[in-house]
Amino acid sequence: MSAAPDAPLPPFAERARAAVKNEKLHIALGRATDALGSRRSTALGSLPNSDLVRDVARKAKMDMLHDLAGHLERFEERLKANGVHVHWAENSAQLNQIVVDIGRKNGVKRIVKGKSMASEETHLNVALEGAGMTVVETDLGEYIVQLAKDRPSHIILPIIHMTREEIGKVMHEQIHVPYSDDTQTLAGYARVRLREEFLRADMGITGTNFGVVENGTLCIVTNEGNGRMSSTMPRVHVMIMGMERIVPTMHDLDLALKLLARSATGQKLTVYTTMFRGPRRPDDEDGPQELHVVLLDNGRANLLGGENAEILGCIRCGACLNACPVYKSIGGHAYGDTYPGPIGSILTPELRGKGEWKDLPGASSLCGACRDVCPVRLDIPRMLLVLRNEGNKEKPAQLELRLGMKVFRTIASRPGLYKTAAALGRFGLRLLSKNGWVKWAPGLAGGWTQVRDLKAPAKKTFQQLFRERKAKA
Amino acid sequence: MSADARTAILARIRAAQRTAYIPDMKDTPRTLEPQTASVEESLARFTKELELLGVASHVEATPDAVRARVKELIAGKRVLAWDAEHLPYDVGSLAKDAILGRDDRDTQAGAEIGLSGVHGAIAETGSLVVRSGKGTSRTVTLLPPELVAVVGREQLCFSMGELFQKQEKAMAGAACTIAITGPSRTADIELQLTLGVHGPGKVTVVVGP
Repeated sequence: MSAAPDAPLPPFAERARAAVKNEKLHIALGRATDALGSRRSTALGSLPNSDLVRDVARKAKMDMLHDLAGHLERFEERLKANGVHVHWAENSAQLNQIVVDIGRKNGVKRIVKGKSMASEETHLNVALEGAGMTVVETDLGEYIVQLAKDRPSHIILPIIHMTREEIGKVMHEQIHVPYSDDTQTLAGYARVRLREEFLRADMGITGTNFGVVENGTLCIVTNEGNGRMSSTMPRVHVMIMGMERIVPTMHDLDLALKLLARSATGQKLTVYTTMFRGPRRPDDEDGPQELHVVLLDNGRANLLGGENAEILGCIRCGACLNACPVYKSIGGHAYGDTYPGPIGSILTPELRGKGEWKDLPGASSLCGACRDVCPVRLDIPRMLLVLRNEGNKEKPAQLELRLGMKVFRTIASRPGLYKTAAALGRFGLRLLSKNGWVKWAPGLAGGWTQVRDLKAPAKKTFQQLFRERKAKA
Repeated sequence: MSADARTAILARIRAAQRTAYIPDMKDTPRTLEPQTASVEESLARFTKELELLGVASHVEATPDAVRARVKELIAGKRVLAWDAEHLPYDVGSLAKDAILGRDDRDTQAGAEIGLSGVHGAIAETGSLVVRSGKGTSRTVTLLPPELVAVVGREQLCFSMGELFQKQEKAMAGAACTIAITGPSRTADIELQLTLGVHGPGKVTVVVGP
């Protein structure tokens, strides 16, 4: 059974605070994100001209976005020529209905599912189960998430937040295997269970990493082989696809694949890169009789019309999560929706509603680490600022804040006054500080300490030190 | 409903395209030439990458040596194989009673080792490229816990880009093209590497003359 969608969430600040206190989570996140970060650097280092490859891959995506509609029409035409059934879904409800209908028409009872972020957006599993079909997630991490009735907390490593002891306990309780905390044994349990599912399933559902406009190629990548299983064994294969996940040519697919695996896990290529040109051919030995693609809008077209259109170039590698100091501190769940990390702080408000998710763009120190590691160089800090700015426009600044800024302008433009005020402020903050940190401040400054601690000012200012050292020298 | 959704979505996108802020990248080239290399260089890189992936490779000088190697690798195991006519160097003659792709599912799932050829190979990443088709079942490289793939030297491309250029016609003719890069793996549990989750956990490559 799948977790119920859209359970009411506590406010972001509370979610973040709870996560920060979770020490186990810190250890797990720290280890994983650091390791992935360094693997990524090594792997990109091994790619000749990696900077140029990233530029060209970015250009391919941006060029495509300039005429997304035209590209989609050509893509659909090629897909149909390849014998693929093409469906369009404006929102979650439509997507879920389309997939349920495909299942019903084919008398489907058992479904195996590969990883699909877009189907997480629409809570597809709940809809399928509601229609009386069983759905089994087959990516190892997603399978454990499903058994634990939990939610994924990372794009690439869904159970980055769980220890192997917790996983052993979940498997013991849910599928009644002997408890183990040995990784190999746990993966072995999953292999045996899921093998049965693969051999008996009527329908396979997977995500889509890339669609190629020029010839209608559909590409999925998996390391485990569950994507291959889900697309080979059942008689019907349904691919779910965010409608921006296309590249114009095979040349662009090559670049995107080079960058995806390197940025995500530090591999040169994902173990299984599978490219479909349609359902099984008449004399093929295996493969699905029907291949369906569902193109999902779900807010993407509206997003395209705004200042953050470039986020639609994202190839979902997860590198920005691993690089982000905020993600490393709070993990994926605190972000509250399908996409965590820096990318989620943009996608969630853009796709789900800027009012409800207005806190997420604030979950960043704007350090720019995400932009540095992004394989297609998305300017994530710029987009976060756009969203913050829009959020601020909605509610006019408080009177005290506006007055405060006026006072600040007066003081800051008079050097004598500024020095005196700064000395006073320093004195005040040092009075309020304990063990080098200010945890509470009065008035406007309280806005800062409400959600974070402030480092107490140093004993001497830079100018004092400068004068002293100059005198010595 | 689908036709309506399609019309509505495309209209929304067209309206959005008029106001979209999309970075301009005038000074960036649109394409990059794929890397190529000589057969010798490619072979050297291929075997090096395979080693990094934990794949044993055997480079053989004669068809006899290829057959001897394959015979040794599959000895005593229940084999699931491509049809003999698709296997190079006549290695099919070594597995005359092999399970085939058209056999019953459960029989195939019981095989202990897969024996396949390839339709291409990529040196830069150590990848084996196979296409679905008559006699070249997808299950052979997927279901058994072990895989032996026989590669002809002339099948090597240096890069994936080069392979895409050379094989576009053949790829368009097949329902499915797969690049296999090492054994099936996961690092989902505490980032610890585990091999053979769903696909073969052990892969061996025999390169022929």
